[in-house]
Amino acid sequence: MRKSKKRLSVALAMLTALTFVLSACGGSNANSNSAAGSSNGSSDKPVNLIWYTIGTPQKDVDKVMAEVSKYTQEKIGVTVTMKMIDWGDYTQKMQVNVASGEPMDIMFTSAGGFDYVTNARKGAFLQLDDLLNQYGQDLKNAIDPAFLEGSKVDGHNYGIPANKELPQQEVWRFNKNLVDKYNLDTTNVRSLESIEPLLKTIKENEPNVTPFAMDKNYVPYVPYDYIIQNLPMAVKLDTTDYKIVDILETPEMQAALTTMHKYYQAGYVAPEAATTGSTSDLMTSGNWFMDRAQTQPLADNLWSASYGYPVVSTPASDAIITNTSVQGSIMAISANSEHPEKAMQFLNLLNTDPVLRNMVDSGIEGTHYKKIDDTHIENLAESKNYDMPSYSLGNNMLLYLNPNDPDDKWDQFKKFNAEGKDSPILSFNFDSTKVATEMAAVQNVKEQFWASLMTGTVDPEEYLPKAIQKFKEAGLDKIIAEAQTQLDAWRASNSK
Amino acid sequence: MASFFKNILKNKVMLLMVLPGAIWFFFFSYLPLVGTIVAFKQYRFNREGFWASIVKSEWVGWQNFKFLFSGTDAWVITRNTLLYNIAFIFIGLVLSVAMAILLSQLVGKTMAKIYQTGMFLPYFLSWVIVGYFAFSFLSMDRGMLNQILGWFGMEKVQWYSDPKYWPYILIFVSLWKSIGYNSVVYLASILGIDKSLYEAAMIDGASKWQQIRSITIPMLSPIIIIMTLLAVGRIFYADFGLFYQVPRDSGTLYSVTNVIDTYVYRGLKTTGEIGMSTAAGLYQSVVGFVLVIVSNYIVRRLDKESALF
Amino acid sequence: MAEMATSNNPNVQDVPRRKARDFHNVTAGWNFVLHLIAAVFSFICVFPFLFVVIISFTDEKTLATDGYRIFPAKWSFEAYRFVFQTGDALLRSYGVTILVTVMGTIISLVLISLYAYAISRSSFRYRRFFSVFAIITMLFNGGMIPTYMVVSQLLHMKDTIWALVLPLAMNAFYIMILRTFYSTSVPEAIIESARIDGAGDFYIFLRIVLPLSLPGLATIGLFSTLGYWNDWFNALLYIDNPNLVPLQSMLMRIENSIQFLQQNSQNSSLSMQALSSIPQDTSRMAMVVLATLPIIFAYPFFQRYFVQGLTVGAVKE
Repeated sequence: MRKSKKRLSVALAMLTALTFVLSACGGSNANSNSAAGSSNGSSDKPVNLIWYTIGTPQKDVDKVMAEVSKYTQEKIGVTVTMKMIDWGDYTQKMQVNVASGEPMDIMFTSAGGFDYVTNARKGAFLQLDDLLNQYGQDLKNAIDPAFLEGSKVDGHNYGIPANKELPQQEVWRFNKNLVDKYNLDTTNVRSLESIEPLLKTIKENEPNVTPFAMDKNYVPYVPYDYIIQNLPMAVKLDTTDYKIVDILETPEMQAALTTMHKYYQAGYVAPEAATTGSTSDLMTSGNWFMDRAQTQPLADNLWSASYGYPVVSTPASDAIITNTSVQGSIMAISANSEHPEKAMQFLNLLNTDPVLRNMVDSGIEGTHYKKIDDTHIENLAESKNYDMPSYSLGNNMLLYLNPNDPDDKWDQFKKFNAEGKDSPILSFNFDSTKVATEMAAVQNVKEQFWASLMTGTVDPEEYLPKAIQKFKEAGLDKIIAEAQTQLDAWRASNSK
Repeated sequence: MASFFKNILKNKVMLLMVLPGAIWFFFFSYLPLVGTIVAFKQYRFNREGFWASIVKSEWVGWQNFKFLFSGTDAWVITRNTLLYNIAFIFIGLVLSVAMAILLSQLVGKTMAKIYQTGMFLPYFLSWVIVGYFAFSFLSMDRGMLNQILGWFGMEKVQWYSDPKYWPYILIFVSLWKSIGYNSVVYLASILGIDKSLYEAAMIDGASKWQQIRSITIPMLSPIIIIMTLLAVGRIFYADFGLFYQVPRDSGTLYSVTNVIDTYVYRGLKTTGEIGMSTAAGLYQSVVGFVLVIVSNYIVRRLDKESALF
Repeated sequence: MAEMATSNNPNVQDVPRRKARDFHNVTAGWNFVLHLIAAVFSFICVFPFLFVVIISFTDEKTLATDGYRIFPAKWSFEAYRFVFQTGDALLRSYGVTILVTVMGTIISLVLISLYAYAISRSSFRYRRFFSVFAIITMLFNGGMIPTYMVVSQLLHMKDTIWALVLPLAMNAFYIMILRTFYSTSVPEAIIESARIDGAGDFYIFLRIVLPLSLPGLATIGLFSTLGYWNDWFNALLYIDNPNLVPLQSMLMRIENSIQFLQQNSQNSSLSMQALSSIPQDTSRMAMVVLATLPIIFAYPFFQRYFVQGLTVGAVKE
């Protein structure tokens, strides 16, 4: 009895000691934080913003950010640390970073990667209405209002969309060397079925080339707009009744999957496509014939410049303005940001100041690029150490032009944006909180079936009914019903 | 109280010795243990930090567990974890003991040593590398297996998208990696058996087979039992690398490759619902705990010296 | 059990000799069959590695048309040339792995040997408490996610070398093994006599106990070396910085895109033009070979200690 009491007291002593150590750690941390906080308010010590963005990490990021920081420190008293996360990992890593409260100020979010609406609702982002009014007036004038309007969630802005192409248009991209070599006609191509003769030619003549390049994220195009990107609930683009359907049960998707499976069996698709995370190896080697991508005006120039060989494209769909396209690239301020005002000031500057925007995009003049004239630049050899995706870094219309770009590039963008058709459910954002558990279960099912079905790896005859069944078991019908209720209410209030 | 401090002082050297280790346990074992309470919460990040997030997240009771057990997920991952481990333990045991006895019977010492060295190799390789190895055999268009099938005029198999082969593949790979190691453990014990027992048996005219059955195996049985029970205690924990790297995280194969450990990891990655993933982890921990206690209890009954505690 | 194992310390090298003496009555026919089985199995164990070596020396174009062959139509060194061109990325990963392995092994040996010694001493008043404190961690663990939260959010070790070192540093199982080893291989009488001569606990530990327990320490050291060298999971969870990617994790990343290697190389002579001719598939395999080589060279040495240690490991108090 006595012995056990003593033991208990030792245990307590140990715990107290350890808690002391622990609180000491925490304490010092808090101190340093508050120290940083107070100094930023009172003196000139710059605030450092941590900025997470998507893309293959580049060697010269720190070097360029040092330059950027010099500029921004002078302008608005901030320095910038950029952290890049590779394409395939972005959603997952950010999910974990946000959930676990990794310190950050600005982060990239979009409908496709690290879903904007869902995470806005989860509280990952700061609500920006007031900050926008206070520090973002210039920005508001610079960006097409359709973007700011389309990225509202429940009536509030949670991020600054990049000013770029507004509609989303799918294209077939072709490796022009091969098109020319076999004298192929790409002008009559549009549907998934129509590419078959081309694929066949390549397959027969070029054993080392992957005819139809894709990774595990590929989804055949069907004329529907998804309620949530990559989950099987969608509304037909020419809908009149606004009915949400399971995309896997639509005749269009079923036909597309059958075709995909046919292509897969014919060897047009890489055998391991369903487990391949990226096609970048194919793109660098040039051992591919075609793939599908989203376009923007003059995109062929961009692609050709970045791959080092000519790429051409033809449309595979209409240009539609959807939530996905409007929310295709957004920069949000993290809910745990220590310096939301400074972050907003930075975003404002980034979207309005050509010097800053181009530095972030192309790196350091003389090192990574050189100017040809006032608006055109040329990449230098070092640019491969700082090759950034332009779409994810803010206002595109401030950017310098590539050597081949016509002077009216951004006017072409404006025209393209003006001509896009609205999706019927544009600006309807589904709130999935009521069906959160079902959403998680449906996600799990999706992980299991999606890639192998979409790439044609498995036979839809056998697997499609299985997948549909599994989705139902996971509660997809309940989610669709909930979404339908919200959509109907939205329709009524927006008189559609 | 005074005596308490006196004791601390008297044991100060020993206490200093355990201190670094105890601190490690505190941070890497006990704090995470406290962290499992998020299994009962809908975890939402709070800007005041780690503790605030845990404390201020909303209690949801058993809802995360309900999610886990509502679908077929819990059943599939539990089944996979258990069945694979049972197969690994028992097939592995039989083959390793057989291989150990076989090695002990070999004539010719140089060769025996070479065999052993070869068998031991897989144990030293990481699962990432084993994953590459597997791919060189299983790749759909280039892999060796499909080429061999081709020679026999058979159709190519899509190894990475056809679940029906994977129970065999996984069992094979797991055994491939572990038999060499385990058989050396058993071989070491065989060599420790008193030689006079065999000499006596030979004088009595016992055959080789009789010697194995009535001397080698009975003498091995304590270590066999302990090794097996130790493995049984871990039966609820799967080898993450085997189930994640070797099937290349292929979704189509999840029905036969998803185990509790991979499920927890994917939960963190794809849904980001920390509470739900932690619930699956806690479920594993609790059942695993019970299994360790039970198997330890059995070891204790059989051979007190060998029990873990 | 304990006495048996530690007193015999069987060594692989002695194996065949004893056998030849004791089991001379295996018939020649049986001997052949047994040899055949053992040879086939050990070949199966080694073959995948040889196969990957062959693939890495295959010509990339041949590979694309013929697939992975044991006797490729055309051999090539291109893959190695490319990998060595981007050598600094590979070297950096080697560096990270070696640093983590050395640091980790030393730290874990220090922590484990001290802890195990203290709880092996009957004179330590709180030995039972600290034994239980360690054993509980064997029975019950918080699991991946809470551990992740503690490491990243409380200890702020994300993207630091410590996230690769510390989570693997301790293991209650090793403590128990070493405790048993101390109590069986260090005679109490020696310690007592040293104490009577006035030696302090630390002195006894350093000068008497450690030298006597070298085989046990070596075993645990090797287990932990192997654990660190082959670890990829902690890098998967905690490391984003491309400069801190250990070898195994590098292999995982190039599975998706060999460009990772090129992107992290400072060698700027790799121009865009060269990129299109990268032998992608064979380079991956060459990387696998290069990452495996140190283990292949070290493991005959490892093997000996493992066999010794295994008999320690199989025995608990």
